[in-house]
Amino acid sequence: MRQNNMLAMILAGGRGTRLEALTKKIAKPAVYYGGKYRIIDFPLSNCANSNINVVGVLTQYESVLLNSYAAAGSRWGLDARDSGVYVLPPREKDGAAFDVYRGTADAISQNIDFIDSHSPDYVLILSGDHIYKMDYSKMLSYHRQSDADATIAVLPVPMKEASRFGIMNTDEDGRIVEFEEKPEHPKSNLASMGIYIFDWKQLRKMLVADMDDPESNHDFGKDIIPKMLSEDKRLFAYQFKGYWKDVGTIDSLWEANMDLLSKNNELDLNDSTWKIYTEDVATVPQYIGKDAKVENSYINQGCMVNGNVKNSVLFTSVKVAKDACVEDAVLMPNVVVGEGAVIHRAIVAQGVKIDPGAVVGDPNSEHIELISKRVR
Amino acid sequence: MCNAFGIVNFEGLNVQIKGLTDYRPAGAISFLGRYRLIDFPISNLSNSGVNHIQVHIKNKPRSLIEHLGTGRHYNINSKRGKLHILPARSDVESGFYNHDIACYMYNMHAIEQVNYPYVILVPSHMIYRMDYADLLEKHVESGADITMVYQSVDNAKEAYMDCDVLNLNKQKGVLGIEKNRGNYKSRNISLETYVLAKDLFIDLVCKAANTSSLYWFRDIINDQCSELDIRAVAHRGFFACINDFKSYFEANMSLLDIDKAMDLFDEEWPMYTRTSDSCPTQYYPTSNVKNSFVSNGCTIEGTVENCVIGRGCTVKKGSVLKNCVISPGVTIGEDVSIENVVVDKNARIVRKKELIGEAGNPLYVKRDDRI
Repeated sequence: MRQNNMLAMILAGGRGTRLEALTKKIAKPAVYYGGKYRIIDFPLSNCANSNINVVGVLTQYESVLLNSYAAAGSRWGLDARDSGVYVLPPREKDGAAFDVYRGTADAISQNIDFIDSHSPDYVLILSGDHIYKMDYSKMLSYHRQSDADATIAVLPVPMKEASRFGIMNTDEDGRIVEFEEKPEHPKSNLASMGIYIFDWKQLRKMLVADMDDPESNHDFGKDIIPKMLSEDKRLFAYQFKGYWKDVGTIDSLWEANMDLLSKNNELDLNDSTWKIYTEDVATVPQYIGKDAKVENSYINQGCMVNGNVKNSVLFTSVKVAKDACVEDAVLMPNVVVGEGAVIHRAIVAQGVKIDPGAVVGDPNSEHIELISKRVR
Repeated sequence: MCNAFGIVNFEGLNVQIKGLTDYRPAGAISFLGRYRLIDFPISNLSNSGVNHIQVHIKNKPRSLIEHLGTGRHYNINSKRGKLHILPARSDVESGFYNHDIACYMYNMHAIEQVNYPYVILVPSHMIYRMDYADLLEKHVESGADITMVYQSVDNAKEAYMDCDVLNLNKQKGVLGIEKNRGNYKSRNISLETYVLAKDLFIDLVCKAANTSSLYWFRDIINDQCSELDIRAVAHRGFFACINDFKSYFEANMSLLDIDKAMDLFDEEWPMYTRTSDSCPTQYYPTSNVKNSFVSNGCTIEGTVENCVIGRGCTVKKGSVLKNCVISPGVTIGEDVSIENVVVDKNARIVRKKELIGEAGNPLYVKRDDRI
């Protein structure tokens, strides 16, 4: 199927330092979420479901796993003849010093040649570490209808939290008149989601100018958007409705997983019209044993549960032995919980063993404990 | 790499699975929630290093073709390997003439073209785990013309009716193949798995076609037992022959014995299937699940005991499922009790509040049925 001449670039170079040991060896977009997914499955599946053909993935921090993961475009159906996922880490170029991506805008600037080779009319800039379902083709229609130079997706947030976000102040037509980064006294509650559609020719010009600007941070939010506003360009806010999460911390990653447990949750991963695709693993179905007790939980294939599991998310092939008790926990793939072990309010990282009888986490703690090493 | 190509054969006339085979060939029948029967022979071949696999289909090919696709999910190399779907002639008047020999003759050009010296024939309605590379090595070393596989069972009076039985001498030479009529407890059930040279295979197929228009491949093998050196190798471990409704139900149930399941499924020997990209399964606060295999994409609010649940099923509040095999996409409504029932794909049991089958004689609910 021929596509809508919009190319997507996913910014996936961030570390996510506050995710502690989870991002020691992998970048944040590769972090596990929701029982079977990695966070980057969301923007990639959204692209595939929105009829976007060509997706560039800009990687930088600990990119080995992420590069090989994202490059297998067939996982998301991005593998037709004129389609593909292109992994773009920083590279050495003729006549320029080899440099890392200095900012979000610089990551795009350094790949102008890649984008040019596909000659798109529009470029969609996405973040690789957000969890949400969104039809970008609707945002593109809005962009075209408003005859905009750039369109920014915004999310209404509670007014009292607005000072934590980049806030867009708009006129009644949705045209952005002012952008304030983390304002002390916000005038609106429309937070930027870091999702932009640009007219490629215009953006290209801006980026070329920005590259050599010594004053610039080479960042979309700090430099490109304010500059476009100062030049009186037509910037529009596209209001998104639905579930959206940027999981920056262990607590918020845990919370986002717990959100899936509530009935009719907003993200609805069971929606057959907007599936989130991910790696296909060959395991048996999950087995719930004779002595098991499973309550209010989200469990993936390959799991073997013989103990008690309550209010928890279990990823692929987790083993919970007899008399073990797992409550309010997120167990990532291949975690083994030994007989009689007790886990409360914790995230257990991939492959970690909790030995029989061990006690992990605290039911009364304010914060979520991250377990990344074997517990004896 | 394995110096043989594989042929996955369709089931013989002795395989009649009430209801389920009305809609699809045996290979396409759902098994243990997430698989279809044909996933097991193809995974065995693929894991054994067999790169070229032919699947012969007799009739009703739609669901099987959809499931097999390009074969990418079976880890078959997209350039050097091939999953070749070969339908039988569609204009055969009677089911009696629609046998494997007719299908091989019809597709002979495709068999002749394959550039491997050996062929491994496997059935689509039997479930077991086996390394065919080992089997081929044994075959070549032994110098036998044909190597077959069997399993010794001691319940042939009640099960495996009309299945092939091997009569063996002390040296495991095959003296003849007969049908199991249920007269003896202990028998060597044929796994309908054959290893032989490709040239001999083609000779035998032609010979069968010339001998009788009703001959299956097993008939010509039986005829040749005194002429050729045919030997048998025993398979040990989990084995299920799905030849009737009862065996289908029991094979699913037997894997709830986790030791048996661990015997069939080995982490180093994955059984592949087509992904449906469904999300994990959601258990609500009212769910109560014991001793069951549950596939992805389900939402469970009721009680489930000793069951196999397919992908994307909905089990509503207050419902009770015991000893059931539920195919993908099924809905069990509120306060519905079912016991000893096989529910076929996408059926909905909502209004009728009770459906209880006998322990040895489960009920069957048709595909897309509304109850």
